[in-house]
Parts: sequence; C-alpha cells; structure tokens
Amino acid sequence: MIGAGWRFLTSLTTFAWVGLFFCVAGAAGSVVMGRYPELFSDMDARILLDWFARKGFADPGPTLWLYGLLLATALLALNAACCTVDRLVPIFRGNVTLHRVLPHVVHLAFLGVVLSHLAGAIYGDRIPGLAVPEGGFVPVGETGWVLELNRLDVVTAPEGYPRDFSAAVTLYRDVTPVARGVVRANEPLFHEGYGVYLKRFGPTPRGVPYAVFDANRDPGAVAILVCSILFTVANLLVLVTARGEDA
Amino acid sequence: MVGAHLVLFWLSLVAYGAEAGLQLGGFRPASPLRSALFGGLLLHALFLGVRWVLSGHAPMAGLFESLTVFSFCTALSAVLLCGTAGTLSAWKPLSVLVALPQAGAALLDKRLTPLYPALDTPWFSTHVGFSFLGYGLFAAGLALSWTYLRHGGDEVYRAAGKSALYGFSAFSAGMVCGGIWAFYAWGSYWIWTPKEIWSVVLWVYYAALSHLKFLPPGAGWPGWGRRQEMWATAAGYFLMLATFLGVSLLLRSSHSF
Repeated sequence: MIGAGWRFLTSLTTFAWVGLFFCVAGAAGSVVMGRYPELFSDMDARILLDWFARKGFADPGPTLWLYGLLLATALLALNAACCTVDRLVPIFRGNVTLHRVLPHVVHLAFLGVVLSHLAGAIYGDRIPGLAVPEGGFVPVGETGWVLELNRLDVVTAPEGYPRDFSAAVTLYRDVTPVARGVVRANEPLFHEGYGVYLKRFGPTPRGVPYAVFDANRDPGAVAILVCSILFTVANLLVLVTARGEDA
Repeated sequence: MVGAHLVLFWLSLVAYGAEAGLQLGGFRPASPLRSALFGGLLLHALFLGVRWVLSGHAPMAGLFESLTVFSFCTALSAVLLCGTAGTLSAWKPLSVLVALPQAGAALLDKRLTPLYPALDTPWFSTHVGFSFLGYGLFAAGLALSWTYLRHGGDEVYRAAGKSALYGFSAFSAGMVCGGIWAFYAWGSYWIWTPKEIWSVVLWVYYAALSHLKFLPPGAGWPGWGRRQEMWATAAGYFLMLATFLGVSLLLRSSHSF
C-alpha cells in the first residue's frame, strides 16, 4: 500500500495526468472568472486566504475550477518533491554529476516558489484603495501608519496621455515620520515589509489632485525571487550540460 | 526616417513570402544561410533595431509589434534548430509559420506609439522578449513535429524535442521576469487574470511534455511513443496561440491588446 502510494507520487504518469488536469481546470477558470465578476473581480484585492474565507465557499459551482487548480498545484509540487527524494538518494550513492543533479535543483526551486506563494497567500496583507488628496492623510489599514500625499506630479504629453507620474509621500507612525519617498510606476516605497504602490490618480471634483495607493506585504516575496532565479539558472545549466545529448 | 523604417518591414515580409512560395513550389535552398528566409531575418532584425531606436523602447507593445516580433522569433528559431541537412525538410511548414504573423502584422496600424509609464522598465523587454522567444521555438516545434509525422527522421525528432525544451526554458525565464515586474508594479508576483492563468497552463503543458520524453514506451501510458509525443508537440503550438492571441483578444486581462 505504501509502496503503491510512493510509486504514484513519484511517477511521471502522475505528473502528466495532473498536468493535464491543471490545464483543463485553468482553461475553464479563465472563462468562468469573466462570467462571475461578483465572485472573482476582487481576487487580487486580498490575499487568497481572505478571499477564500469570504467567497471560496459561497458558490461551489463557479469556484470548482479553483479547487481543481489548487489541488493540481499541490499534487504537482508533491510529485516534484517525491521524485527528487526518490532519485537523489541513488544519485548520491553512485556517480554524482551536475547533469544528474540539476533537474532536481529545478524541482526544489519550483517547490520553493509554490511554498513561498502559499506563505504569501496565508500570511500576507493587502490594503487596496488608499485614496488621498494632495496634502491629505489616510490611515494604512491596521498597520498603525498614516500616509500623507505631499505632492503629485504628472507630466502630460502634447497628445494628452500621461508621460510620467509620481507621488511624493510620507509614512507616519503617530506624528513621527518613519519613511519618505517618491512612488511612481514600477517604483514602490518599501517599509517594514510593506510596499506602497501608486495605482491611479486624477483631480477631485474641486480640482485638487488625488492619488490612490495600495499597500501590500508578501512574506514570501524574497523566497519567491530567490527560488525563481535558482529555477532559471538551473534550467539553463540543464540545457548547457545536455548539449551534445538528446534534448 | 519614421516612415522609411517600414520599408525594412515590407522587405522582410517579401523575403518571408518568397521563401514560403519557393518552399511550397518545391524549391529548397542549398543551405539555411543562403535562403530568402535568412535574408528576411536580417532585414527584420534591422527593422526591429531601427524601430527600437526611433520609438525609444523595445518594439514589443501593441498587436502590430507583438505579431512582427513573434514572426522574427519564429524565423530565428528556424535558423537555430533547423540548420542541418536532416532538418531542412521542416523549412516548408516553418516558412509558412514565419510569413503568416508578419503578413497579419502588415494589415495593422504601424505607427510608432509612446510607451505607457508602467511599461517603461527593463522588465518589459526581458519579459516579452523571452516569452516571444519561447513562442517562436514552440512554432518551430509544430513545423518539426509535423515533418516528423509525415516523413520521420531521428534528427527531426531530436530537433522537435529541443524546440519544446528550449521553448519551455525561454518561456520560464519570461515568466520569472514578468513575475518580478509584477511585484514592482502591483506588489504581487501573481494576479488572477486569464492571461496569467493561461501562461501557467502553457508552462505546465510544456513541463509535462518535456518530462514525458523520459516515459518508457508503453509504461504507464500504453501506446505512448514518439508519434504521440510529436502530436503533443504540435498541439502545444495551438495552446500557445490561444495564450498569445486568443486570451489577449477575446478575454479581458492585463495583457489585452
């Protein structure tokens, strides 16, 4: 029984079937998401655990694909982990070569990415829609911080589109400034694990410039970055060491 | 100069069209480096380089630039993977796969457009560039698998396997760059939109395909062998097209054209 379970978890066939199932669930989900905006439109506004707690069990039909996708992801990660444990032991007992070890580095990096995402989906924090006029203040969720928009700069091209935009902001705890910086597209302000992101801007009805920020914290972010880079490097090294052999 | 650079685009299209016409007419080049397709590739590279300088950003934004870069990457993949005598037979379908997106791009608005500030980052060119390199290699995979299914050949089979593996690697690198960019832009490596989901679907598909090569024939999946692997390689191209064009044109997502 245990042997059969282990063979199942380390099997390439399992990987292929689960991969196929993942593809079907994902394809179905991409269509279902658009049909049920009341369920899925705010998925990115919260961490996955919070979203699940509020809507994941609300309507089993339209969310079925998501259960399938998460189950398949878990099985793919388990399959990669078991495969690596199964193969690494004989590799290290015998002839250890880079070409034999590297695929398992790729597996471990993939596993690291999945687990880091899981950490972020459980322990992360997302505070969307922090709207603040220029010179105004807004509390940042339950962090105890207050965000001030000192100045909003928008450079408009003659054609009318925004060529560049930036927001000078200050973060306060009580009345003490704890962080200060300029936030623009692709350049958030980081402080104590949180990133403050400029999402949109415009004038209020009174003509005062305002900006809307998100504040996000992802405790798995660094691990995802490290594992992703490890995956890419190991993957490229697999190709280099496989040169001359069949792909 | 702005309008003149499009002459290079049209010349490359003519070269690709000539290659496709010659191939379909039964004429084959003596070597890849003496083909119309290779000439078109050089003109195409020049066109993209000039357009990059003129617009001030990587020419990968919008449907026109996406299609022409896709065509370029397919032509590049043809030269990289099908440069031997044993794989030259794949040039016939490849020449068509190179010419079609370039012809499609010819029908679209080709004006230079400014880059939205969110796209003004090195992650844009690396994310899109690696992704399209993957797409081009997947296109070469269709041509090679089609050739194998019709005529067989060990060399063609190996090249088709490389197209899936190299394409998977390039596409993975593109996804990593996209994830890092998303973190700096939105505060999350992942967002729930159809494009992101289909990208992972495509990634898992090619990951599975690259692994199935190691499945012993008849073990686990009775009947699984080289021909089935080639059918799956060919099918991957259409999954890629659904991800690249289908989702971007039909479903609302962060990557809509």
